[in-house]
Amino acid sequence: MDVLLNLAINGIATGSLIFLLAAGLTLIFGLMHVLNFAHGALFAWGAYFGVWMYANTGSFLAGILGAIVIGGLFGWLLERFFVQPVYGNAMAQIQVTMGLLLVLNELIKVFFGPNQLSVQAPEYLDESWLVGSVVLIKYRLFVIAVGVLVFLGLQYMLKRTRLGLIVRAGVMNKEMVQALGINIKKVFLHVFMLGAGMAALGGMLFAPYAGVIHADIGMDYGILAFIVVVIGGMGSIVGSALAALLVGVLGALMAFYVPSLSLAVNMLLMFAVLLFRPAGLLGR
Amino acid sequence: MRTTNWLFSSRFWMGLIVLALVCFPFVSGSRGALILLTQIFVYAVFAMSYDILLGYTGIISFGHVMFFGIGAYTTALFLDRWEHTFLSFLVSLAVVLLLTGIVSYLIGALTLRLKSHFYAMLTLAVSGLFLVLAEKWRDVTKGSDGFTFQIPDLLRDRTSLYFAALAFMLVMYLLLKRFTESPVGKVLQAIRENEQRTESLGYQVLHYKIIASVVAGLAAGLSGSMYAIALRFVNTAVFGINVTLDALLMTIIGGVGTLVGGVVGAAMILLVHAGLTDLAKVHWIFERWMVFFGALYILAVMFFPQGIVGTLRQWRTKLGKG
Repeated sequence: MDVLLNLAINGIATGSLIFLLAAGLTLIFGLMHVLNFAHGALFAWGAYFGVWMYANTGSFLAGILGAIVIGGLFGWLLERFFVQPVYGNAMAQIQVTMGLLLVLNELIKVFFGPNQLSVQAPEYLDESWLVGSVVLIKYRLFVIAVGVLVFLGLQYMLKRTRLGLIVRAGVMNKEMVQALGINIKKVFLHVFMLGAGMAALGGMLFAPYAGVIHADIGMDYGILAFIVVVIGGMGSIVGSALAALLVGVLGALMAFYVPSLSLAVNMLLMFAVLLFRPAGLLGR
Repeated sequence: MRTTNWLFSSRFWMGLIVLALVCFPFVSGSRGALILLTQIFVYAVFAMSYDILLGYTGIISFGHVMFFGIGAYTTALFLDRWEHTFLSFLVSLAVVLLLTGIVSYLIGALTLRLKSHFYAMLTLAVSGLFLVLAEKWRDVTKGSDGFTFQIPDLLRDRTSLYFAALAFMLVMYLLLKRFTESPVGKVLQAIRENEQRTESLGYQVLHYKIIASVVAGLAAGLSGSMYAIALRFVNTAVFGINVTLDALLMTIIGGVGTLVGGVVGAAMILLVHAGLTDLAKVHWIFERWMVFFGALYILAVMFFPQGIVGTLRQWRTKLGKG
């Protein structure tokens, strides 16, 4: 029972990280039908830049802020100069964002070196509580808390603010929103930056969670995020959250009981969803 | 008809280049150049097979490498475990065709009904699965260490291997050219131009897309076999995503939907790669050649979508008229 509980907490924490990555992906796709293959690279950049800030300033918070800032900045650059020029051309979009993933991943090796870095959580998050016979690791609970906060924040933004209203309307009918005099491209730029910032935040939180980071985490977690977005339904934040938890917990269980199948299970899950319910669990 | 017409004839230039390639081993004694050209021929077939998907049907696959890897490993295992004779090689080719045919059919039938986004993603995922499988199944694949094996005596000599690879490329080019000009090939191009219209003309789009997927898969499998023969070594890198991206880059730089663009692109990329590897001794930044290729690739997609061959053809039409 303790093992199960520990695995569940582990899985939920991983799920929170994947959610941070998938939320931006699903919003970007839902709004503009842009599948951003470079999203995983933003996750990796967030991790590396954040860790660099953390190591140089000694403050974990500065690392997190640095990651979010670099994520948003990259989001702006990517959207403005690479994604916008190829709007409406799905083939070119897929290829350009894939190229960006490559270049950004390689640039990590150029700037931060090709070797993996080990990262420690700050002292105040590095302890654990013993509740009964269950070990609660503080950092995991912290990651889960951030995931929940971001989820609630996104829900608030989407349901209660003007920007959220426009985004929701844009997901439903982009042309109509434009006809009402709203510059949807500008809104999209903001959504893209928001998504990029969340991805980078996810990367930074991932670093002490995993203990080591390497340049390939962008590709690995990018694929996981895609799987989550497909399972949850493109454009649905709640769907992504559910799917991220599902993938996270399932991954943790499989990694413990049948480690050789842990990646295959997610793929099979995605296959099943695509074959029987291509729109995803909560997609329209 | 003007007298200078032969200058604009691609057939003339292709013939000249083939002639030069046939003469090359007799003129040059450079072993390195021979090996590099052999690799270019092999990669050219892989890039052409990719062009069937990308250029002729308008499908983006990020998992094309799985067929390449299946081909490479099948041939390597046959030569290593059975016997290193030419017969064994031929049998392995037949098995490669069978395996890649089955896999490409299954993947096509399962995923091609989805939109292009999903297809790109799913193929990426499936090829990732193949890579993991190859890495876990160490008894057979020897993981990333890989294994060396002996190749048939007939192909042992570098020069005969060179000619075999050249012949392989030419035959595959002619076959694929014939395929793209066949009625099926015309339907594929119609799908690329306008899928809805093709469907409303009464063609089963899915059916034709699956044909394209299988043809591309078979050709890629064979190129994988030749790759293993050319290297006499195989490891799990033959399932790596960057091999797919190489093919994508070669096809885009060479020119999509031209077939011969794959050959031009393969030559360009491998020559530049060889040059950059030499430069790596000068400055470490050149070790990260992926940055240059990736940047080149993005710029090509955005500003140079027709590629080298496409642009040359455009000039020819202009000059021919002027």
